[in-house]
Amino acid sequence: MTTIEIASVILLLTGAAFFFAGTVGLLRFPDVYTRLHALAKADNLGLGFIMLGLLLQAPGPATVLKLVLIWLLALAASATVGFLIARRARQNGIVPWQSGDRE
Amino acid sequence: MKPSVPAVRAALWRSALLAVLWWALTDGRADSWGVGSVSILAAAILSLRLLPPVSTYISRVGLLRFLIFFFYHSLRGGIQVAWFALRPRLSLRPAIHEIPLRLPEGIGRVLLANTLSLLPGTLSVELNGRRLCMHVLDAAAPTEVEVRRAEVRVAHMLGLELEET
Repeated sequence: MTTIEIASVILLLTGAAFFFAGTVGLLRFPDVYTRLHALAKADNLGLGFIMLGLLLQAPGPATVLKLVLIWLLALAASATVGFLIARRARQNGIVPWQSGDRE
Repeated sequence: MKPSVPAVRAALWRSALLAVLWWALTDGRADSWGVGSVSILAAAILSLRLLPPVSTYISRVGLLRFLIFFFYHSLRGGIQVAWFALRPRLSLRPAIHEIPLRLPEGIGRVLLANTLSLLPGTLSVELNGRRLCMHVLDAAAPTEVEVRRAEVRVAHMLGLELEET
């Protein structure tokens, strides 16, 4: 394997690790707000590292641009949807979980 | 009606950006430009109707510093939240913070709220005028300091003045 391939694999694995942690958070965290935190992180860092890993293997500048665009669109969607869900939850009176509550 | 100078500039800029987008999506295939030019024109017209030309000033140094800030804090916060999720005992201490923003009304506030949602550890819940309501994973973290830092970066990038609250 060339150095670039090794770097690409490391970046892809790092991305997968953040997706894994995000998914564990989604399953373990106690309420809607804390779960949204876990999701936003998977989108931002998990997808970000996977995009970087794939950039190193991209065949040309068009693919590079496409990958970066996918990440930016996912970020915009993630931030907007996360905000909308959290706001709706609060308007519906869902009280954030506190450290004394039962899980 | 004669189109104004900013409108023409906006139309040219947006068409150019859309052309680059088309080029990326089609991997630069020459035989796609027939459909492409029609699509680009239609998209440019639609974009001008949906979002009329606004003067958007973006400082290049400001943008760079914002990106560095965003990447650094994403990484730092991401590792922190991953640790929260993976450690055997769940030790979250969530809280709601309300912070009065110093950014003026408009795109800056929205951009800040979205940035904070993407940075691990903070989640924007409500933006009501200048009051930003945030959910944080760790009540003890210095949230206000971090929000202020992000606020300064956004203001610098967009050339906005911070107002006293």
